[in-house]
Amino acid sequence: MTYFLTQLANGLSYGLILGLIAVGFVIVFTSTGVLNFAHGSVLLSGAYLVASLQGPIGFWAAAAVGVVGAAVLGVLINALLVRNLAEANPGTAAILMLGVDIVLLTELTRRIGNNVLSIGAPWGADVVSVGGITLPTSRVVAAGLAIVVFGLLWFLFARTGAGIAMRAAAADSDTAAMMGVRPSRTGAAGWALAGALAAVAGIFLASFPAPGVAPTLALSSFAAIPAWVLGGFDSVVGAIVSGLIIGVVTALAVGYEAELHFLGRGLGEVVPYAVMILVLLVRPSGLFGRKEAVRV
Amino acid sequence: MRNGTRTTLAIAGCCIVALAACSTKDPNASGNGSGGQSDVKAGAGVTDDAITVGMLTDLSGPFAAGAAVQVAETKAYYAQVNKDGGVCDRQVKVDVQDHGYDPQKAVTLYRSMAPNVLALQQVLGGPTSAAVLPLAQADHLYLGGFGWAGNSLKYDNAQIPGTTYSVEAANAIDYLVDELGVKKGDKVGVVYFTGDYGNDSLAGAEYAAEKRGLKIVPQEITPKDTDMSAQASALKKAGASAVILAAAPPQLASLAGVLASQKVNVPVIGHAPTFNPALLDSPAGPALLKNYYAFTSTAPYSSDEPGVKKAVDLYEAAAPKGAKGFEVPLAYAQAELLTDAMKGACEAGNLTPEGVVEAMRKTSDLDLDGLLTTSLDYTDPSQPPTRTVFVSRADADTPGGLKLGETFEGPSGKGYTFK
Repeated sequence: MTYFLTQLANGLSYGLILGLIAVGFVIVFTSTGVLNFAHGSVLLSGAYLVASLQGPIGFWAAAAVGVVGAAVLGVLINALLVRNLAEANPGTAAILMLGVDIVLLTELTRRIGNNVLSIGAPWGADVVSVGGITLPTSRVVAAGLAIVVFGLLWFLFARTGAGIAMRAAAADSDTAAMMGVRPSRTGAAGWALAGALAAVAGIFLASFPAPGVAPTLALSSFAAIPAWVLGGFDSVVGAIVSGLIIGVVTALAVGYEAELHFLGRGLGEVVPYAVMILVLLVRPSGLFGRKEAVRV
Repeated sequence: MRNGTRTTLAIAGCCIVALAACSTKDPNASGNGSGGQSDVKAGAGVTDDAITVGMLTDLSGPFAAGAAVQVAETKAYYAQVNKDGGVCDRQVKVDVQDHGYDPQKAVTLYRSMAPNVLALQQVLGGPTSAAVLPLAQADHLYLGGFGWAGNSLKYDNAQIPGTTYSVEAANAIDYLVDELGVKKGDKVGVVYFTGDYGNDSLAGAEYAAEKRGLKIVPQEITPKDTDMSAQASALKKAGASAVILAAAPPQLASLAGVLASQKVNVPVIGHAPTFNPALLDSPAGPALLKNYYAFTSTAPYSSDEPGVKKAVDLYEAAAPKGAKGFEVPLAYAQAELLTDAMKGACEAGNLTPEGVVEAMRKTSDLDLDGLLTTSLDYTDPSQPPTRTVFVSRADADTPGGLKLGETFEGPSGKGYTFK
C-alpha cells in the first residue's frame, strides 16, 4: 500500500508539473492558434537563465529573471515571427515553431555543452517523509506552487478584464475585435503567460530528482503533449486534469512494470499515448475540448 | 471542420516524437584517388603528399558537446603526427562533417565523403553509425569511433575501441558477486535506453546473471526520461542489491540521487557515456561519490598511464578550457588505432581503403600504453579485441571525476557469447 501511495504521490506531483506545461500549450493555441512546438526550448531557455544566474544573484532573483525572461522570449517569438506570417494557418505556424525550436535548442546546446547545470534551488536533494511515503521536497513545493498558479489562472480568466478579453478572443477573435478586444494584446499576453509557466515547470523539472539543466530538458515538454491533446487542445482545465492523468498513469505503469510484464517492457513510454488514443477514440475532441456546433 | 483539424493535429503531435528512418539504397563503390609516385599503391583519399580521413559527427545535435571534445583531440593528435613526419610520408588531413544525429543526413554525407577518404575515423551515434556501417562494409571502408555496441561485431570493417557494452555489463555482474558481496539469488536492476547501447548492456547482464545465479530486474527508458523516481521506487520494492545503468548523465544523477534519498545505498554501475564530472556538483553528488562505479573500455581522464598522460597533455594544450571527460582518452585511442592500421597498410604497400581494413584485421597484439586495458587482438571480426574493463570510482578531487581503481575480467565477461 505504501508503495502504491508513493507511486501515486510521485505521479500526482509530476502530473501537476506536466499540467503547467500543457496549460502553456493550450493558452498559446487559444490566443494565437499556434501549435507551439518551440515550447520545449522556451522552457529550457528559462531554466538555463535560472541556472546560469543563480550563482551571481541567488536562486530567487534568478528564478524571477528566468520566468520573466521566458515570458519575454514568448512575446518576441509571437511579435517577430507569428504575427508576421503572411498566411495565418496552423500548419505553417507549426512548421515555423519547429524551426524556432531547432534554432533555440542548437544555441542552448552550444552554451550548455555537456555540462549539467545545477539549478541551485534551496530544497536541494531534500526529501519529505510522511507515513512511509517519501517524496522529494522539490516535488512537494512544485505541487503546492502549481495549485496556487492554477488558482491564479482561474482568477485571471474568470474575474479580470484582461482574462475575459483573452477568453473572448479565443472564442471568436473577429467578434471580439469588433467589441474592442485587441488580438495583438491578448496574443502577447498568451505567449507571455505560456513562457512564464514553462519556466516555472523548467525550474522543477531541473530540480532533484532530476539532475539539473541539460539540453535534454527541452524534450521533457514532449511528455506534456499527450496531456494537451487528451485535454482537448483548447481547455485549460482539460490540460490540468490530463496532466494529472498522464502523470499518475505513467508512474504506475513504470512502478508496476514487473507485474505488467506481459504487456512488454518500456510501458511508461507508451502508456501516455495509449491513454490519449483510447480517449480520443471515445471522445474525438478530448476530455474537455469544445464540441463545435454541427448545423445541418 | 474543427474536429478534422483537431484529429490532424493529434496525429501531428504523435509524429513529432518519431525519429528518422535510414536509407537502404545500394552503396556506391569507392572511387580511386590519384596514384602515388612511390611503390605504395594509393587509393581513395590518398595523394602523393596527403591522406584524408573522415569524421561524421554530431556538432549540432544532442551529443554536440562531447563530439566537439573528440574532434578537438583528434585534430590535435594528427597535428602532432604531421609534425613528426606524418603517416607513410604523407600529411594527414581530417575532414569533419556534421550529421546532427540524423541517420538520413549521415548517409548522404557518407555518400559524398566515401570516395574522398582513406578511412572514417568516426561515425558518432548509435542510429547514425547503424545506418552507415553496412554501407561502409560494402565499400570496404574502415570505420571507427562508433561507440561500443555489440552489433558492430557483424562488420569486419569496424574497429571497436575496446570491448562491448555487453561484456562490460557481464563483467559488472561478476564484479558485484566476486568483489562487492552480492549473493546468489539477489536481484540486480538494469535501467537502460532502448536501442543498440542499452539492449547490448542488458544482454550482457542477463547472460552473466544466469551464470552467477542472480535475477535481473529490467527497466526500459528513453533519453527524455530524466526523473528516475518511479524506476527507483520499483527497484527498491524489488529489493535490488545493485543497479546497472546504460543511459546518460541526467538519468544517472536522478537514479543515484533518488535511491540514496530512499536510503537504498547499493552500487550503481554505469558505462562510459553514463557519467559526466559535472554531476558531482549536483545535488546527487554525495550519492555518486558513495555508490558509483564506472565500467569502461577506455581509461578515465585521470589515469596516470603514459598513453592517457599523452592524450591529456595534448588536449589541455589544444583546448585549455575544454571539458574533461572520457572523450579525451577515447578520441586519442581511436586515432592511435586508425594510425596503426594506416601504417600497416603503408608497410604492406597497399594504402587503399581495403588495405587499411586488411591491416587492421592483421593487428594481433597492439598495446596502447594504458589507454585500453590490455593488448588488442583484432584478427577475429566476430570477437571484441579484449574482454577486460577498467573499474573506476567517482572522486570529486580527480580531474574528470573518475579515479581508476583496477582492471577486471570475470568469468561471465570472458564467456559471453555474441549472437
